[in-house]
Amino acid sequence: MMVRGTLKWRQAIALLGLLGGPTLFLGVFFLGPLVIMLIYSWLEPGLYGGVVWNFYHLNYGRIFGWANTRYEQFDPAYLRIFARSIWLALCTVGLSLAICYPAAFWISRQPEWRKNLFIFLITLPFFVSLIVRLFAWVLLLRPTGFINQALMGLGIVDQPLEMIFTGFAVVLGMVYIFIPFMFLPVYASVEKLDMAMVEASFDLGAGRWQTFRRVILPMTLPGVIGGSIIVFIPSLGNFIVPSLLGGAKVMMIGNLIEQQFLSARNWPFGAALSMVVMATVLVLLLVYVRQMTREDRAVAAAPEPTGDMR
Amino acid sequence: MEATSAMVASRKTQETEADPDHPVLEIRHAKKRFATPEGQEVVALDDVSITVARNEFLTLLGPSGCGKTTLLRVVSGFEDLDGGEILIDRQDIARQPAYRRPVNTVFQTYALFPHLSVARNVAYSLEVARVDPAEIRRRVGEMLELVGLAGFGDRRINQLSGGQQQRVALARALVARPKILLLDEPLSALDKGLRDKMQQELKALQHELGISFVFVTHDQEEALTMSDRVAVLGHGKLQQIGRPQELYRAPRNVFVARFVGESNLFPATVTQSDPAGIALRLSDGQEVRLPASTGNVLMVGAKVRLMARPEDARPATGKNNAGGLRFQGRIKQVFFVGAHYKILVHTQAHGTLKASLPAGEDLGSTPAPGQAVELHFPPATLHVLLDEEAGR
Ligand SMILES: Nc1ncnc2c1ncn2[C@@H]1O[C@H](COP(=O)(O)OP(=O)(O)O)[C@@H](O)[C@H]1O
Ligand SMILES: [Mg+2]
Repeated sequence: MMVRGTLKWRQAIALLGLLGGPTLFLGVFFLGPLVIMLIYSWLEPGLYGGVVWNFYHLNYGRIFGWANTRYEQFDPAYLRIFARSIWLALCTVGLSLAICYPAAFWISRQPEWRKNLFIFLITLPFFVSLIVRLFAWVLLLRPTGFINQALMGLGIVDQPLEMIFTGFAVVLGMVYIFIPFMFLPVYASVEKLDMAMVEASFDLGAGRWQTFRRVILPMTLPGVIGGSIIVFIPSLGNFIVPSLLGGAKVMMIGNLIEQQFLSARNWPFGAALSMVVMATVLVLLLVYVRQMTREDRAVAAAPEPTGDMR
Repeated sequence: MEATSAMVASRKTQETEADPDHPVLEIRHAKKRFATPEGQEVVALDDVSITVARNEFLTLLGPSGCGKTTLLRVVSGFEDLDGGEILIDRQDIARQPAYRRPVNTVFQTYALFPHLSVARNVAYSLEVARVDPAEIRRRVGEMLELVGLAGFGDRRINQLSGGQQQRVALARALVARPKILLLDEPLSALDKGLRDKMQQELKALQHELGISFVFVTHDQEEALTMSDRVAVLGHGKLQQIGRPQELYRAPRNVFVARFVGESNLFPATVTQSDPAGIALRLSDGQEVRLPASTGNVLMVGAKVRLMARPEDARPATGKNNAGGLRFQGRIKQVFFVGAHYKILVHTQAHGTLKASLPAGEDLGSTPAPGQAVELHFPPATLHVLLDEEAGR
């Protein structure tokens, strides 16, 4: 008992030593600001920036439909921007998945050296500044940009296509920057898929589609879901891509929050908007975790073996 | 039990509808080559022809790398032939994809679906074929009971032992009642005790279901115990096919003699050949006369091998001197194996010989290393081998 007790203590101390630093860091630099934001979102905005320390629920009211009609109104534009953000983030997830999933299968069949080369190539854009890469898209997509010039030069269109400052441009930009985040988890689970499973499915009479639906998809689903979450969360709150490629026309929730904090100097309202984004993400994650644990628990224990064939 | 007999009965009626006499599987002149990554070519199947009768337990026996798995994969549809054809119930199935062939496989690694429960694994082929759910439940229950896993339906695959997984793989492959079940070294991952038990159970199951089994193993003992017939493969070629007793008693070539059971092989030259029999001379000068074997016409001067099984060795006595082979030597090692002694005898002319002597028999004394012995192999136990192996 004594020995086990001291062992437990030692383990606890070792654990504290290992995890203490990061925990402290996260506590100060992540949880701290988060708590500040949470508190601010329930405070009254000051007239010239700053906050007044009064409990004030109308920040949320402006978003969801009740407002202090004296200086500000409920504006459905906020909800619309929010809905658009979700829609664009979903499009980003869908499109990057459509690119990464087949690519992962193809790459996983290549010889070892080529696999590594492709994975390196996919992560290569990380080495170039995000802003530079997005400006490259601006140069490509704008009315006098490379793509329009080429199309007009070839006589395919006779006036420039409107590509920049559209939802399409925003999704394109986000897909472009988030593809590595989707690819790596998807590839990890595709690579793990045992071809013997696919053969077993064929052997048991399942055609291509049935094999995909019953074996390949379920067995690679963890990677697909993981990648989708990792892409969805930063897409939803993104503000760099929409501000460069969406302009004033395609605003996302991230731009709105940035505006509230920087130009409108309405921190409480900005904080309230941030909290709504956070809550959305948390709800999604919770649903996902619940789903996963339920699946695990569905497998009940069965009686012990009899061990003989008849 | 009723359920199983019903299943057997239903298969029986199917059989009488079809012609019961023709083989269920015919492999004709199968050829398969692979290109290795180093740019060389491996001939995995070299003109292999095998037929499998209805309700037969056929074993493919051969050392690792001889093409056994390739042969199964060609039948199940995962590899295309480079030449030859495969017929199931007289139909050429070359153009049928794997999922249309009436053949199921128990994979070497089992390849069970980890994301499905035991019952869903077993139900897989029925679900895919859109069988009525009530019917699926009934047949899966039946099958699980048959393999001794009743009540395990809700378990996950990773909650099972190796032996249990093996039974699930078996149930999954059998539930749709294929015409042929292919088993790729299914017992090689099990420990000895469990393997012996599964051998008996598999054989009984095959008999009960009336489905043809094509069973792959590299274990000759396993092959001899379980099979109706054994096909010995070596270097991509069919070396010999026949009943276990035939293979053991009359191997066609040196490859089979070495691979099936233990043997002593002596190079010999034909010195006389007439309708009554042949005479052979060994390298140590002793001559032996054997009755003419059917089919083989041997030319005088031909080089052959003479095979003698260890268990046919007897201590030479005055009485049994007539004919056969005699070897004098010294015992090198003795292994007591219960019913008999296995001894290694060193001889001047032929190196080390293997002999197996009954433990009860009067050997003068208990065999011990260093003792001088004289071994005798009666003529009826000797077997003439012509070639090293098929096609060489
Ligand atoms: N896909 C493949 N590519 C290249 N060579 C292969 C392939 N499959 C099998 N071979 C070769 O064919 C030969 C027979 O293999 P296999 O049928 O697996 O043997 P066994 O099952 O009897 O051990 C081996 O030499 C093996 O290396
Ligand atoms: Mg093999």
